[in-house]
Amino acid sequence: MRALGPGFVAATVLAAAGFLFVPGLILAAPLEPVMGFVQKIFYFHVPCATMLFLSTFACAAGSVAYLFKGSERGDWLAAAAGELGVVFGACVLVSGPLWGRKAWGVYWQWDARLTSSLLLFLILIAYLLARRYGGPGARKLAAALALFAAVDVPLVYKSVDIWRTVHPQTTVVPRLDPRMRPAFWSAFLLMTVVWGLLLALRYRLEAARAEVATLKLETEDLLEART
Amino acid sequence: MNTLERPGRHLAGGGLARRRLAALAALAVTALLPALALAQEFVKVEGKAGEDVPAGPFVAIAYGFIWIAILAYVVFIARGVGRVRGELDELRRKLDAAGKR
Repeated sequence: MRALGPGFVAATVLAAAGFLFVPGLILAAPLEPVMGFVQKIFYFHVPCATMLFLSTFACAAGSVAYLFKGSERGDWLAAAAGELGVVFGACVLVSGPLWGRKAWGVYWQWDARLTSSLLLFLILIAYLLARRYGGPGARKLAAALALFAAVDVPLVYKSVDIWRTVHPQTTVVPRLDPRMRPAFWSAFLLMTVVWGLLLALRYRLEAARAEVATLKLETEDLLEART
Repeated sequence: MNTLERPGRHLAGGGLARRRLAALAALAVTALLPALALAQEFVKVEGKAGEDVPAGPFVAIAYGFIWIAILAYVVFIARGVGRVRGELDELRRKLDAAGKR
C-alpha cells in the first residue's frame, strides 16, 4: 500500500479541528423557539443525509463505470461508497427518529420522506449483501442495484415537497436563521471532510485487496514454475 | 279456579319484573349519558398539560450514535488494512523461502 499524501494529512488535521470546535458552535447557536434543544440534532442529521445522497451517487457512478466500461476502479469506488452509504444511512435513520420522538411525539411515521429514506438504506444494504454473498457475477447484479438506489435519491429529497408529510420541507436550510448558519455549515464541512477521508481510505483498501489477489496468483504461478 | 289464577298471577308478576328491568335499564342509560357524551369531546386538563420529555438524552444519543458509527467504520477499515498487510507479509515470506531454495 502506498503512503498517504499531504492532502490526506491536511484533511485529517481539518477533521480533528472540526471535532474540537463544531460542538461549541452548535451549543452556542440559538435555540429554535418551537422545538427547543432537540433541534440541535439538525446540525448533524442534515449533513449525514447529504452524505448518504453523495455516497449513493458515488456508488452509482462507480457502478456505471464498471457495468459499461468494465472499470475495476469504478467497482472499488462503488464498494467504498456503498458501505459509506450504509454508515451514514444508519446515522440518519437513528438521529431522525430521536428528533421526531421529541418534536412529533412518535419515533416513526410511515410518511413519504421517512419511508423512501428507509427504502434507500435497504437498497444499499442489498447492494452490499449481493456483493458479498452473491457468488460469481454478483458484482454486476449489485451494480444494477446501485442504479436503483440512485433513482431513489431525488425521490427522497423531493418527497417532502410533493407529498404532505410530517417532515420539514427542503426550504429549511435556505431559510435558516443567520445565527444558526455558522454552526450548520461548519458541521456540514466537517462531515464532508470525514466522508472524503473515509471514502479515500476505503477505496485504497479495496485497491490493495485487488493488488494482493493478483500478487497471490502471480506468486503461485512463480512457485509452481520453479518446482 | 286455582289452576286458572296461578298462571294469571304468574303473568302479572312477570310483567312487573319486566317493567322493573326496563326502568332500571332506562335509569342506567340516563346515568351513563353524560359519561358517553364526555367521551366524545376533548376536555382541558388542569395542571400537567403535555408530555414532558427531556431533550438532552435524545440529542446525546443521536450525536453519540453518529460518532460511534463513524469510529466503528474507521476500526473496520483499519482491521481490513491489517489483514492486507498480513497477506503481503505471507507472500513475501513465500517468495523469500523460494529464493533461498
